[in-house]
Amino acid sequence: MGIVLGLIIGAVVGGLAYGYRTVGQAAFGAVAGVAGSAAIMAGLGFCMFADDAESTEGVLGLALAGAVGWMFAAGARAAFAQSGDGDGGGGFGESEIRTGAYRLGWWWPWVLLSPTLIILIFFLYWPAIQTFRLSTKLTRLGAPRVGERCLANFSELLVTDPALVAALPLAAIGVIWGMALWNNRAAPGTVAAAIARALQPLGIVVLLLALYFVFEGDNGGFRQIYVNTLIVSVGTVALSMIFGLALAYLTFRRVRGITVYRTLLIWPYAISPPIAGILFFMIFNATGGILAALAERWGFDFPDYTQDASLARFTIILASVWKLLGYNLLFFLAGLQTVPRDQIEAAAIDGANAWNRFRLIVLPALGPISFFLLITNLTYSFFDVYGTIDFLTRGAPAGATSVAIYEIIRVGVDNGDLGRGAAQSVVLFLAVIALTAWQFKQSEGRISYGGA
Amino acid sequence: MRRLLALLFALMLIAAACGSDDDSDDAGDDTGEDTTTEETAADDGAEDDAADEGDAADEGDEAAAETETIQMWIGFADEARVGFSEDRAAAFNAAHPEYNVEVTSFDSYNTVFEQAQLAIDEGNPPEIIHFFEAATQEALDAVDSDGNPIFASVTEATAGRDEILGEPVVLDDVVSAATNYYTIDGELYSMPWNTSSTVMFSNMDILSEAGISEPPTTWAGVEEACAAIMALPDAPSQGCITWPNHGWFYEQSLGQMGADLVNNDNGRSGRATEIILNSPEAVEYMQWWSDLNQSGDYVYTGVQRDWDGTSAAFLAQNVAMLIYSSSDTTVLTEGGVENGFDVSASPMPYNQDIDYEGNLIGGATLWLANGLSEAEQDGALAFLNFFSNPENAAEWHKVTGYIPITNSAVSLLEEEGWYEENPNSLVASTQLNAAAATPAATGAFVGNFVAIRDVVTAAIEDILVNNVDVAERMATAQDEAQQQLDDYNELYGE
Repeated sequence: MGIVLGLIIGAVVGGLAYGYRTVGQAAFGAVAGVAGSAAIMAGLGFCMFADDAESTEGVLGLALAGAVGWMFAAGARAAFAQSGDGDGGGGFGESEIRTGAYRLGWWWPWVLLSPTLIILIFFLYWPAIQTFRLSTKLTRLGAPRVGERCLANFSELLVTDPALVAALPLAAIGVIWGMALWNNRAAPGTVAAAIARALQPLGIVVLLLALYFVFEGDNGGFRQIYVNTLIVSVGTVALSMIFGLALAYLTFRRVRGITVYRTLLIWPYAISPPIAGILFFMIFNATGGILAALAERWGFDFPDYTQDASLARFTIILASVWKLLGYNLLFFLAGLQTVPRDQIEAAAIDGANAWNRFRLIVLPALGPISFFLLITNLTYSFFDVYGTIDFLTRGAPAGATSVAIYEIIRVGVDNGDLGRGAAQSVVLFLAVIALTAWQFKQSEGRISYGGA
Repeated sequence: MRRLLALLFALMLIAAACGSDDDSDDAGDDTGEDTTTEETAADDGAEDDAADEGDAADEGDEAAAETETIQMWIGFADEARVGFSEDRAAAFNAAHPEYNVEVTSFDSYNTVFEQAQLAIDEGNPPEIIHFFEAATQEALDAVDSDGNPIFASVTEATAGRDEILGEPVVLDDVVSAATNYYTIDGELYSMPWNTSSTVMFSNMDILSEAGISEPPTTWAGVEEACAAIMALPDAPSQGCITWPNHGWFYEQSLGQMGADLVNNDNGRSGRATEIILNSPEAVEYMQWWSDLNQSGDYVYTGVQRDWDGTSAAFLAQNVAMLIYSSSDTTVLTEGGVENGFDVSASPMPYNQDIDYEGNLIGGATLWLANGLSEAEQDGALAFLNFFSNPENAAEWHKVTGYIPITNSAVSLLEEEGWYEENPNSLVASTQLNAAAATPAATGAFVGNFVAIRDVVTAAIEDILVNNVDVAERMATAQDEAQQQLDDYNELYGE
């Protein structure tokens, strides 16, 4: 039953992913999709539909079948249908690249690429594959046996109701799709189009909300970690980029000794995250911290950030922002050099005020840099905050600052539970992939890299 | 589009791997698999060296010309402890030129254990490995990629000898608290080294100001003392008492009240299969702790396992009393002198309503790697016995505050008059000697102990910070911890 359902989902998804302009294409896509879903289900031994499996595991199995089916179909399209359906033409002028010929033979590019490929395979793809494999197991270093967990390492992060697990993400995807459709259909310039455009960001909010309710909320569930990660990353990225840009704009002017200011501002970047943790610990610690001592002298009661969830998160964000600020400043400064001065001067002559000049000329020109920083900052807040958290709060109070990467290291490394650690890192991996894909989609056509 | 394709390519690789690798999983070596293959390729040279050494040793006499290297990996990174170890290793090397003991320091017990396991799978393990008490079950259960135990029993390797390479064997002389804890089926699998217990340190300046001449010994005594201390006009700024939120303190209190942490006589008559976090004793202790926190007498530094924050609060005189590991007796006593107050150590306060059964040890032992050549094993054993000979054990105690690990070291210190000059240093030994030899007061053997302790400390933090119901929260913790134990037994159990 479950297997058949999985194959059907694979077929449908595959057909959709391959492109369904002709029956032949759709059929080919469906075959690829079925192959994908069959491969992943058989690879796991159909364990997600076994009698002793949780029903949420079955739902996850179907989702996995669909996802791999989609990958197979999309991969097939990439391999066979590139030139045919005229879909190509990304942003980089592919046709120009393709016209180059390698006189030494087709293998020559691979030889040139091999140093990079070897490094990527051994240090990136292979460990990534191992992570996926470990995530279906119960295993520890030095254990005489390995336990099969199928998808239980994942399903235990979710609520136990399979209907909820299946319905909520589907509903969210439905909302996003519906809105995209509305946006496409609405005639440009009409009120409907304006509303559709304005409502676009709602899709992501709906998806985030759906995930909130899909993750288990009780003790040991993933919901709290999900919320922590969202708050800390969004807070860190938003504040560090805003302050980074503001500082860069201020230090871009010609002032006496500006190079000294700039150098000093960039310094925090050279400090490692744990040191940032220690520094902020020295400042904010309620027992012996600098601020606590000052507060005591002036008769205030300095709040203990480890006892209050919002304060604790804010302290983590503050430390990360401080750490990222120098980096962002550096790139924004470089970006500001590329802003065309003639346009600014022309706008000034035409009577545009400073704020408008900044909003309409400087900001768009900084698009590519901002996009790059958005991704690197997000990566930082997802992966590099461990040291800061470990020194500042160790997840306190009661897990309010335990973000995904902190929990992964605690479970997988400190407790030695490799399977659960791997499963959680797969979740984080998927989140990063989804976010990156979404950002690329959002920025398509909006960011100008200069040039034609 | 290009980028998406690259992404797809990566994902397809992953999908392919999920499909193909499954049948190899029932082999026990799964986790070590990738490391072994990669590292054999990379480390061929190093392995050859190791093999050569081994051969030479096996052939016996001609090996005498070569020095045998004994690697000792320890989980300390501070100067005093690493310095002591390196110093003794140098002394041993001077006395036994045919051996060269090398000390490598790691930042934690866990790191040592992980690195040692990888080294064992690679075929070039350190001879002596430092590992902590809570992971004894794991150390016993651990196997290499061929399924052999990774550690050898020290008792068995000693084989009843009185001296090894001229070094007198001190194994039978180890104090009873440590022997009781570490003995399994009548054997000491590892050589006890740093051993401590929980004791209370009091700021006697504050206590006498509040009219208290002796540190309290019971829970009720602590409450009374705190009432008096907090009523002082210049009461300590943070509160009356603190101790780290570490699973060890919880286990100590269970031991005092005679409650087991796990079934099968605390895992000593058979493998532990059931965890007991919601026993009446456990709930009573947590309730007392929570009440003390509510009244403002207990100071929670807000961070789990916060050894630094709690001792800093005590040394800054922000709290009057500190329950802590006796391993830092010397540091805390001297710290008091430096900060201008008098520190008195006393036994850990207990529940006056329940008969006192005993406090447990904590600390770590030195394990002997399995599968060593005879020359290596004897060298390692000789060093272990030298390392804890009366003079060295006494010196180790003086440097740190860990208890003197052998009875003869205790006698030596008594003869020197050390305890008369340093009464604080005697408290841990006295407390451990007073403990009954029951399973509860000896301590638990249980797998996945670190993760179980994490569950306990997370529950405690929830109780202290969010003020949730103690019994309910301990029941939830019980379920989580049971899951950890079940997982462990699924992998290691019979």
